[in-house]
Amino acid sequence: MRGLLGELATGNAGEEVTITDMEASIEHMSRATVRHVEGMLIVTEPYFRSLETVGRIAPLARELGIEHVWAVANKVRGQRDEEIIHSYCADHGIEIGGVVRWDEAIQEADREGRALIDFEPSAPAVAAIEQIADLLEREMTGTRENGSSGNGRGD
Amino acid sequence: MKIAVAGKGGSGKTTISATLSRVLARRGHRVTAVDGDPNPNLGVALGMSREQLEALVRIPKEIMEVKEEGERRNLVLTRPVEEITAEYATAAPDGVNLMVMTGVDHAGAG
Repeated sequence: MRGLLGELATGNAGEEVTITDMEASIEHMSRATVRHVEGMLIVTEPYFRSLETVGRIAPLARELGIEHVWAVANKVRGQRDEEIIHSYCADHGIEIGGVVRWDEAIQEADREGRALIDFEPSAPAVAAIEQIADLLEREMTGTRENGSSGNGRGD
Repeated sequence: MKIAVAGKGGSGKTTISATLSRVLARRGHRVTAVDGDPNPNLGVALGMSREQLEALVRIPKEIMEVKEEGERRNLVLTRPVEEITAEYATAAPDGVNLMVMTGVDHAGAG
């Protein structure tokens, strides 16, 4: 019953979702820690060393059998930042799952020790992360095209 | 669906993990957020209060053991995952369940 209501309310069945904020260092990523992980988001800033980390993690993740591997561009300040990330990911065959632009609200929420979504629900960064949620939901529903549950993502 | 969020330290993984967890929970999904960072702050980023954060029970390292498998060192759970969830999950805003995995000793692992 609850499941049905959830489905009606969201257009998507309430799925079990686990989001693991992983350790920074890839060396600890083993088959066991990522067992049954279907998707990996690799957060990157628009500079070389951060992108190099993506370049190291993505092949390992695939090797461990993770089906979907996306880079998420974060702290993107302008056209050039975005180009750097797009070009690196294109060269390395890594799909971009989202672009979160530099948003002062993140720093301010951090400073106050609050959740970004509580501190500034309408922050552009929240909207960008909602688009990543859209992407994950599309994967959960098996990329089923469903007109009634469209999330209005234009890309 | 199980999602792992990786990236270089300071890249903003925790804010993205936390916000994503809250957004998905608001959309009706049953979300478990797992903090696997040695300096756990996913709870703060999820919007938990100081009292809630102080009451957090970290999953002890005895719950996992390292098993050598050829050249690989794998972490395996020593108890059923349901049991661990029931004992260590803490409620965060929007009904997100938080589990803090810190405590695993990686000394010498590089």
